Amino acid sequence: MQNFTVHTAASNGSFLGVDWGSFVVVFLVALVATAVVVISYAVALRLLAVGAPLDVQGGAASRRSVRRPVAATVGAIVCLAVGVAAVLYGIWLIIPQFH
Amino acid sequence: MDILVTVIAVIIVALVFDFTNGFHDTANAMATSVATGALKPRTAVLISAVLNLVGAFLSTAVAQTISGGVIKEGSSGVDITPTMIFAGLVGAVLWNLVTWYLGLPSSSTHALFGGLIGAAVIGAGFGAVDWGVLLSKVIIPALLSPLVAGFVAMVATYAAYRITRNARVHGSETGFRHGQTVSASLVSLAHGTNDAQKTMGVITLTLIAANILPAGSAPPLWVIASCGVAIALGTYLGGWRIMRTVGKRITEVKPPQGFAAETSSAATILVSSHLGFALSTTQVTSGAVVGSGLGRKLASVHWGVVGTIATGWVVTLPAAALVGGLAAWVASTSLIGLVAVGVFGLAAGLLIYRLSRRAPVTRHNVNESAEAGENRDDTRVAVGQEG
Repeated sequence: MQNFTVHTAASNGSFLGVDWGSFVVVFLVALVATAVVVISYAVALRLLAVGAPLDVQGGAASRRSVRRPVAATVGAIVCLAVGVAAVLYGIWLIIPQFH
Repeated sequence: MDILVTVIAVIIVALVFDFTNGFHDTANAMATSVATGALKPRTAVLISAVLNLVGAFLSTAVAQTISGGVIKEGSSGVDITPTMIFAGLVGAVLWNLVTWYLGLPSSSTHALFGGLIGAAVIGAGFGAVDWGVLLSKVIIPALLSPLVAGFVAMVATYAAYRITRNARVHGSETGFRHGQTVSASLVSLAHGTNDAQKTMGVITLTLIAANILPAGSAPPLWVIASCGVAIALGTYLGGWRIMRTVGKRITEVKPPQGFAAETSSAATILVSSHLGFALSTTQVTSGAVVGSGLGRKLASVHWGVVGTIATGWVVTLPAAALVGGLAAWVASTSLIGLVAVGVFGLAAGLLIYRLSRRAPVTRHNVNESAEAGENRDDTRVAVGQEG
């Protein structure tokens, strides 16, 4: 992060005593982490619903309650695993005894 | 003898503060879960209470200073006396009760800082406060927190709706409710590790200042246990008034929004506390709810309510400082003054509680949205015991 210096009159690359570099990092990491978790969870829900009535109303209305393809199930499990991993990592971060 | 009375008074008020912190901040973690029906109100506060208790026992690292550098403590600065801590806590408790009565999700940490600053200014003058630290560690993070969390939640809400075809995909509403429960629980646990520990720090440092504990002691078990129980009890009684504001009045939260808001809050709180730029929990969660309202098509954010909350945030620090300062002024005169402050604080607290009973918000009517912000009186008078 040493190249992340906000140029101000103050020293230490900070303005108003705030380290804006680490603020930007926090913002970006929070954004990416949330996006990964929310998107993967939403995709999992979408994949789990493949073949279910509400999902087909747009295109192939004739194929009601089709069996869910194996690929969709596998994809959903992978996406859910991302969420589970994120939660476990979150718990690990919260509990100081782990680190 | 005097010092012992003061220490006991500090411990009592600190535990009361911890209790108000619990019911104030349950709203942050659990409001959206209650609003979407992901959890029944009683289940939500029970989960939150247990996680806060667990969190209290998990994190017991002693704080180095009571104010985290906002007040110039130590050899080169002022001595924060137990009387000043007592006065600061009284200011924080009273302001927490006022904001609870008004249903405003305001930061308990800011109330505590405000109370301590007021007491320190009265006790040792304006030079006792490090205004630079106050700006960089408290005020600016409070301004940035809702913006960051709001933006993140807005993006997440948009994505959640987009991917699940406006949540019409089979099972998605239920799925989002489950996801929301998990993220909200993470927020609760993180809250317990942070906030119970603050009160433990205050009590432990007071005991050290009074030479009851040797310098550098860890919190004794009874301090950890009583703080954990106080915050859990407050959490379990539930700040229904604030919960209704966050879950229903800012915007009518739906499951995908609740999931996106809680996940954003959890991620932002965890990332910020581990990458060294601490953001404020209350401001993060409220900002995330606003963001989730902006991210959903056709959802309306009640900006009047948001404005009221923002005003509450601005006023919190000075208001708590004023009460803390007055309390310090009276309490430092004599032991009688100290007792008088305690009695006055108790009376003011009871008065606010009595006022709240005129239009109680309980777990039975927490989800009645009424009209944003107005008409508090038309809420059904419920028979529950919780306020």
